[in-house]
Amino acid sequence: MATRKKSLLKVIILGDSSVGKTSLMNQYVNKRFSNQYKATIGADFCTKEVVVDDRVVTMQIWDTAGQERFQSLGVAFYRGADCCVLVYDVTAPNSFKNLDSWRDEFLIQASPRDPEHFPFVVLGNKVDLDNRQVSTRRAQQWCQSKNDIPYYETSAKEGINVEMAFQTIAKNALQQEAEAEIYNEFPDQIRLNSDRNNRPGNADNCQC
Amino acid sequence: MEIEQTPTNVATSDTNSTSEYLDAEGESDPDEGVADGVDEQDDYYQEQEREAEAQRHSIISELRGELGTRTGNALSPDPGAESGQSKDLAASVESLALSASASVKTEDSGNTVDDEPDHDYQNDSAWCGQKKHIFILSEAGKPIYSLHGSEDKLVTLFGVIQALVSFVQHSQQDAITSIHARGIKFVFIQRNSLILVAASRTNMSVQQLQRQLSDVYNQILSTLTYSHMSKIFEKRKNFDLRRLLSGSERLIYNLLSNDSSSKRVSNNVFDFLTNSIRVFPLATSTRSNIISAIQANCSKIKDLVFAVLIANNQLIALVRMKKYSIHPADLRLIFNLIECSQSFKTYENWTPICLPIFDKNGYLHAHVSYLAEDCQACLLLLSVDRNAFFTLSEAKARITEKLRKNHCLDAINEGLQQPYNDAKLYEQVLSVPELRHFLYKPKTTAQLLCPMLRHPYKSLEEFERLEAVYCNILHRIHNNARPLKLIYEVREREIVLAWVTATYELYAVFEPIVDKATVIKYVDKLIKWIEKEYDVYFIRTHATF
Repeated sequence: MATRKKSLLKVIILGDSSVGKTSLMNQYVNKRFSNQYKATIGADFCTKEVVVDDRVVTMQIWDTAGQERFQSLGVAFYRGADCCVLVYDVTAPNSFKNLDSWRDEFLIQASPRDPEHFPFVVLGNKVDLDNRQVSTRRAQQWCQSKNDIPYYETSAKEGINVEMAFQTIAKNALQQEAEAEIYNEFPDQIRLNSDRNNRPGNADNCQC
Repeated sequence: MEIEQTPTNVATSDTNSTSEYLDAEGESDPDEGVADGVDEQDDYYQEQEREAEAQRHSIISELRGELGTRTGNALSPDPGAESGQSKDLAASVESLALSASASVKTEDSGNTVDDEPDHDYQNDSAWCGQKKHIFILSEAGKPIYSLHGSEDKLVTLFGVIQALVSFVQHSQQDAITSIHARGIKFVFIQRNSLILVAASRTNMSVQQLQRQLSDVYNQILSTLTYSHMSKIFEKRKNFDLRRLLSGSERLIYNLLSNDSSSKRVSNNVFDFLTNSIRVFPLATSTRSNIISAIQANCSKIKDLVFAVLIANNQLIALVRMKKYSIHPADLRLIFNLIECSQSFKTYENWTPICLPIFDKNGYLHAHVSYLAEDCQACLLLLSVDRNAFFTLSEAKARITEKLRKNHCLDAINEGLQQPYNDAKLYEQVLSVPELRHFLYKPKTTAQLLCPMLRHPYKSLEEFERLEAVYCNILHRIHNNARPLKLIYEVREREIVLAWVTATYELYAVFEPIVDKATVIKYVDKLIKWIEKEYDVYFIRTHATF
């Protein structure tokens, strides 16, 4: 193709409310952090350009609301995602347990072509806090059981591992995209003489 | 609709909640810098702050900017439900918008090598001041096309559009048709995994904008075919369709920039508004000579479906296979292809083209070439056989030879260079100097007759008004809920007449000082004249091979 456009990746961030999805995105895109909690309403969108293997890629990041009341809205966003980021809070065991249902829900709603190999990334956030409840081992085990999902422990506040996690996200998503390069089959020849003549009742009455 | 749960509603219909969220979203936090101990450079921080504002878009802030505080039934699923008051609004805002859009960005091709990699269109007054925006995206919210600006830089906006569409789709089991706010109409159509959106300050009605979107959709099908595109999205919902459309952005652009919103003064927009095409005026004997030349050299070619000869965006002749015909929407795609492909002038071309109304699932193969270097009429021979190039190329050479011999090339050139017949039409119009412009469309064909634009409509500003007049009366005449047969209005700057009879539709614009009796007399004269000259300006039936 003559003019190849920059690749565009749709990345969805999922996880319970207040695990730090928006903070991670903010840290990644804007390099900043706020201690104040503001619940996301519906979804926020932001964009960032990254370089992966010498290719410039535009990431379209969909930061969804974790609160239950937005869930029905959320599912509409899932389809056509190139990568899904699952976030939990290492100090909140429930948010870890819920990863299962986030992942299942995503796979059901987005119904990707190859669910077994759809690129997920799991982030255990808030490792800067003292009262850790979910061990690294436990998280790693879960990730392994789900077809070796890459796992990172992050702190949106301190900026730990955030850059690296997103780099992995972009890379894995891009790999998926590359697999399905070719769609150049030519459609069948139009068959004349069958009875498929021009649709009779076209609203705009007339032919020329 | 529940207001609390849904950001879309919040912004469109509930001012209280909006301001609440404004507080939540819009204020910067006082303790921000201190919290993570990065309180050094204030300047640096403000920079980040600004950048953050620019890059981060919640649905709320998008809508806040676009929709403002308009209350009431902003979401109207019924296209017929748009109210008269929004029109007034449209008019008042429009003048403001015009002055705001000082510089217009034209992008002729899609080969966007961004010279401004971080351009922030959404805070760019020229971008925001455009009279019309068109956005195309996949159901997944991935950008495919934006009329103005690089779609790459608008990914967040595309996300918001997808959110709006799928919210209505999922939670209401409905489809969003339009949003009306601050004089801007946002019109949506969804087709086969694509979402097409127009945001317009022009005078086009929702239905007219929908037709424009549908034309664009057809243009995409014309490049890819329906079956191919469906298959792709079936396999991969996250497919980036720009990969397959690269190179055809210019076709989409040209199709969309036919009206005054792109600062063009031309009759082209009226083809689209009346869903028709225009015919190249020719003496009946000349036209029938041309047709027989085509028939004589093509009738034996198997699988040749259509031969189309056009010049100057007008149809000279169409010869077709028995039982088949071309819809005006398909013909407009052909016209569009010819109009924006200069390379056809120098080379014979062999190109696949899907005519979606004829058959949306397959390609016709078009042999495209201009008749001769000294005759700029373009001939398309459309076959279903992809190996027919040489056969068609030979046929074309013989057609040109024949047309040269019987002086049809000269006749076409005459029409092109000194628009004799158009001049005659002009003369006719000039003998009624108070008749400024008209559109005449017979009921039996989708062909349009209109005179060249002349004073005062040669200036963009006046032309915009003319366009608005036609948009308005066409919309009212064809209103599904309450179609009209006759409109006669004395406006400040012109008298406007729309008249639908059993045999034709006529829309005419007169000097504002003429009285009604005179208008009737003139219209009568015009109609009689058109009937007399009918075969010069219209093609009654298209010949077959």
